[in-house]
Amino acid sequence: MIHTGSDKDLLLKPDLCIVGSGPGGAMVASRLARAGASVVVLEEGGYHTKEEFDMQEATAFPRLYQDRGNRATADLSIQVLQGRAVGGGTVVNWTTSYRTPDHVLEHWQRTEGLALTPEMLRPHFEEVEQRLSITKVDYEDTNPNNRLIYDGCKKLGWQVDTTKRNVRQCLRTGYCGMGCPVDAKQSAALTYLPDAVNAGAEVYANCRVEKIEWKATRATAVVGALLEPGTQKAAGRTIRVEPRLVVVSGGALNSPALLLRSGLDQGPVGKKTWLHPVVGMGAFYQERIEAFYGAPQSVASHHFARRSEGAGFFIEAAPVHPMLASTAMPGFGPALRARMALLPNVCATISLMVDGFDAGEEGGTVTLRDGGGPKLDYPFTDRMYECFRAGMKAIARIHLQTGAKEIVSFHADPVTIRSEADLGLIDGMAMGPNRVAVFTAHQMGGCRMGADPARSVVNPQLRHHTLANLFVVDGSVFPTSLGVNPMESIYGLASWASAHVRAALS
Amino acid sequence: MRPVPETRRGLLKKTVAGAALLAAAGAVPVALRKTKLREVPGGRALQFFTPAEYSIWAAVADRVLAEEKPTGPTASDLDIAGRADAFLAPLPRNDRKDLKQLLALFDNALFSLLQGGPPRTFTSMSAEDQDAHLRRWQSSRLAIQRTGYQAMKRLCCALYFSAPETYASVGYPGPPYDLVKSVLGARR
Repeated sequence: MIHTGSDKDLLLKPDLCIVGSGPGGAMVASRLARAGASVVVLEEGGYHTKEEFDMQEATAFPRLYQDRGNRATADLSIQVLQGRAVGGGTVVNWTTSYRTPDHVLEHWQRTEGLALTPEMLRPHFEEVEQRLSITKVDYEDTNPNNRLIYDGCKKLGWQVDTTKRNVRQCLRTGYCGMGCPVDAKQSAALTYLPDAVNAGAEVYANCRVEKIEWKATRATAVVGALLEPGTQKAAGRTIRVEPRLVVVSGGALNSPALLLRSGLDQGPVGKKTWLHPVVGMGAFYQERIEAFYGAPQSVASHHFARRSEGAGFFIEAAPVHPMLASTAMPGFGPALRARMALLPNVCATISLMVDGFDAGEEGGTVTLRDGGGPKLDYPFTDRMYECFRAGMKAIARIHLQTGAKEIVSFHADPVTIRSEADLGLIDGMAMGPNRVAVFTAHQMGGCRMGADPARSVVNPQLRHHTLANLFVVDGSVFPTSLGVNPMESIYGLASWASAHVRAALS
Repeated sequence: MRPVPETRRGLLKKTVAGAALLAAAGAVPVALRKTKLREVPGGRALQFFTPAEYSIWAAVADRVLAEEKPTGPTASDLDIAGRADAFLAPLPRNDRKDLKQLLALFDNALFSLLQGGPPRTFTSMSAEDQDAHLRRWQSSRLAIQRTGYQAMKRLCCALYFSAPETYASVGYPGPPYDLVKSVLGARR
């Protein structure tokens, strides 16, 4: 059953308590409940269904995203799009589904002593792909915002392909990021969580976990506060779960923050947080693009994902709805309004930096804010600036191939590209925090897995190095970023890790 | 790899420069800090802003969302400052303090003068001077000013462009409700 509140304080004693109901938590809940364990899932966000998904940004962002859509690094230089609901980020992501690339697993094997191999994960990915209806998009089904990337890359001779998406009977409305209004997107809230509930799991929405209590090498309780549905204010009720085993699946940023709040600061908790930092450009066309409609992401180019001259990047599309677009558009006043008036004619193309593969790279760090929430710092570096510039040039070149009138950076003092001769302008653009709009929709790391307790928070089976009955199963365990959208990797890894959780229970 | 030092700064008071600026702002004679007040529509009670802070935000929203020729509602028509007041009300205590200090600095006449602007509060400047003031914050060498500018600009834009009344001004037809309704109806 999915509970959304309680009129009394709760004390529960299940086999397993899972904190977070995104792809990691939902998967473990499903696997363990089906194996006969009693499972409680605690989720801070609310439980929302298609009837509530009104396709309005003003409703969706405060309701379905962390910090009501306003999560950012401490200096506000990187806007953090991160889901917060029963089903976690899978409720609001843009459905792009990739297996973990083989070379990433090889890198982890080499640097962190992990035993994960493509062969080991294959059956898990196959099951996930079947359960979530992950299928490849036909070129004909892409919208112009994506198709122009495809066409431009082809003209340049660059690698490009349509993506796979976890949808069933998709109408391609374009509103994946605001909750699918027709249940076409096969989110965790429609798949693995119902599987878990049908097998007896109890899900508590609107439940903020404050800390994990522990003694010596055992987690003893998970304690939290119940929130009012809708307002998310403290409801004055508490929850205390005393399980045999705890699985932390709050996602990058929230999972390390929970460990820190609980005094579990052994190892590099919160360190090496990876974001796939995103810069974008707006390509303005004569004809209408209407990038607010159609599958938001259906094409990607990984042509530059593994560069030798700097950090890799990959190129995808972003949907163009007025609110999100306006926060990235350069300038203010009449200049901003003139750009916004051309919204139907703009393609938004993004470059996602592949972070975490350089030996000296530190990435982001999660510490605690006053009040206990995650505080994220992600210092900008020369490596990032080089990658941002390379990504912007690549985006501009794609759209020059396909006839854009001008391509504009999302930059306080924007650079406008109208021909190949203008590309050099990108080299001269001022870079720095809050000089250029930077986003992240992929948060990873902070509770990295590895054999060495000095370099990692959980072991190669995702068990905490100190607490024998605590696992972390979500994107926070990735030692690096992935270079692909992370959802399917989290599901696959969680499916694989479920056997270890099960073994620890028995 | 060389980190860029300024990015390590937190918001406002967590920085040496920020602390000095805020101290300077507090030391300015009251006459130079006087915000030109604006009435809250309907005399509604404010949840987050003081009347002065409301007025600063309203003045910022007017310029951030200004148009050459009107195509949509103005920031005042939609009471963007009132919407910001409601949106910011649940902010944690420390964030509230940071933002309030930022607004005080933004509307400080002496600070404007020190940065090459007129010795007036932002709320008392001409529209032209207000735009120049915003540009100085947008492109400042001080990271905290750029942070402050982005915080104000983004929230003004988010509150304005997420309002359905503004959709026509950006050529956005809105969500495809008919399609969704017909498909859901057919599935039932």
